[in-house]
Amino acid sequence: MKTSAIVQVPIVAGYELMKYVRGRRLPGMLVLLGLIIGLILGLPPLLGIGFPSAPNEFVSSFAGFSSLLAVLCGVLFASDALASEFEKRTAYFLFPNPVRRETIVVGKLAASLAASGLVVTTYYAAATASAFAITGGVTWEIFLSYTYTLAYMVSIVGVAYFISAWMKGTVSATVLTFFLFTLVFNIVQAVLLVSDVEPWFLPSTAAGIIGNVLSPNAGPGGGFGGGPGGGGAFQTFVPEVSTSLLLFAAYFVAFSVAAIMRFKRRELVS
Amino acid sequence: MSNKLTTVQDGKPSAQPIQTQGLRKQYNGFVALEGLDLQVPEGACFGFLGPNGAGKSTTIKAITNLIRPNKGKASLFGVDVQREPTLALRRVGAVIETPEFYGYLSPLETLAYAGRLRGMNRRDIEAKSEEVLRMVKLSDWANRRIEKFSKGMKQRVAIAQALLHDPALLILDEPTSGLDPRGMAEVREIITSLKHSGRTIFMSSHLLGEVQEVCDYVALLNHGRLLLQGSVRELSQQTDVSSLVVSFAGSIQENEVEWVKTVPNVEGVEKSANATLGLRVRGGVDTHAKVLEALIQHGLRVASFRPLGSSLEQLYLEHIKEAEQL
Repeated sequence: MKTSAIVQVPIVAGYELMKYVRGRRLPGMLVLLGLIIGLILGLPPLLGIGFPSAPNEFVSSFAGFSSLLAVLCGVLFASDALASEFEKRTAYFLFPNPVRRETIVVGKLAASLAASGLVVTTYYAAATASAFAITGGVTWEIFLSYTYTLAYMVSIVGVAYFISAWMKGTVSATVLTFFLFTLVFNIVQAVLLVSDVEPWFLPSTAAGIIGNVLSPNAGPGGGFGGGPGGGGAFQTFVPEVSTSLLLFAAYFVAFSVAAIMRFKRRELVS
Repeated sequence: MSNKLTTVQDGKPSAQPIQTQGLRKQYNGFVALEGLDLQVPEGACFGFLGPNGAGKSTTIKAITNLIRPNKGKASLFGVDVQREPTLALRRVGAVIETPEFYGYLSPLETLAYAGRLRGMNRRDIEAKSEEVLRMVKLSDWANRRIEKFSKGMKQRVAIAQALLHDPALLILDEPTSGLDPRGMAEVREIITSLKHSGRTIFMSSHLLGEVQEVCDYVALLNHGRLLLQGSVRELSQQTDVSSLVVSFAGSIQENEVEWVKTVPNVEGVEKSANATLGLRVRGGVDTHAKVLEALIQHGLRVASFRPLGSSLEQLYLEHIKEAEQL
């Protein structure tokens, strides 16, 4: 009986995906997705507001929730993936098998990316189909927005794995991941903007490209702009697309590698 | 220890199922293992004894790559566990503490997961799963989700997954932990039958009777140090002092207690109740018979006379006591 990491990675990934399905996370997330789509499509007619006529403008209302959706995917499908093995003591079953810990992390990462990718893809598929049905057109920018959301989601998953490899409890890992992307990075971004520092290195800032690509008024990236209140009350900053994509990739690679190294050295002491 | 051991020579791997050399593990200043040299011969049923906190689980975790020793080396079949964990663990089945399983899987699915990770094919997995689940009496629960299983049932699943791939070495950490008396007897029966199949079994336990019943070799650990290791038979013969409980028909007086202390080979007397004495006697069953004879001839009305614990238990207590006094 010989086996290799190449064979083991899809096995680990398959069982991890089964966890998301049977644990009702993936079906739950898809239900939530249905609700969001239902609200986006259902509320305007109920309030007597018309839909935008341009596809990009129409999908912008979807893209407004893309970042949050990516964060939710990271929280639900990644943040407890490694910590749970220790907290729930399932590592006592898994680790004495002839499987390298790196293989376990890579398998789990693949499952997290697949589940998260499915959610994001479903969301954009619904947005694109709706845009086509309502506006009669589909644009290349919608596809770019989808790609950028996937890239942002990938970086979140990488960071979530890093947190999960270090934290003792699944709840703390989940909470930390969620607030890091929804609160901490945003606070840091706001402070840096006030100080006239370009926060290009923050993934939540770089995620601005998701909506920016669809906005008809958006100029080339890499500039400051006035907020919705006008008069410069809120400043926003969206880096260049290439910078953002490189940043997402760097976050994913750096944090995933760090997660693997930590997971490999972590001891099962309790 | 009579053995089939081969040793590490010129850096070549040995065939010993388990070998540790100078294993040391420290947790935040607490030394859990100190220079542990352990050798488990092939085909042995090896009992790993020690009180709680002695370092038994730490040793097992070190040899299964769950923790990293600060010093020393652990090998399985001559393969360094730290350097080549997947190769070292290939022929090993392990039950460590009471493992938890993925609640969303059934025992059959759990076994399939373990089997697939080990490179078993589908047909082998199905056939072996059926066999091992029957062995641990979980056939009726094969398709139920583990999330609702009791601790004892999970322990059975753990034993089943450890046996799935016909391991040459079975490592069991407190295998009867969490089981009811019937379950404990069944697990002992399984271990005994596995022993006869020629596998090497390494089991930790603090139940001395269990170890004496099942194992042919033992090692005794305390405060992370190895106090002794050898065959159960040889070690049992080493102990010369045994404890006896003698109950009398009627209360026993102080002067009678004093007299009992003067009986040859009686090394200590303790009055544990009005009509019961605990004796420490040097010698084997012949000496026990002579002590009993002396008590009756002196006119003491002996109602019952029985040894307290097994010879291994005596040995255990002696060594632990000695170690505490150092």
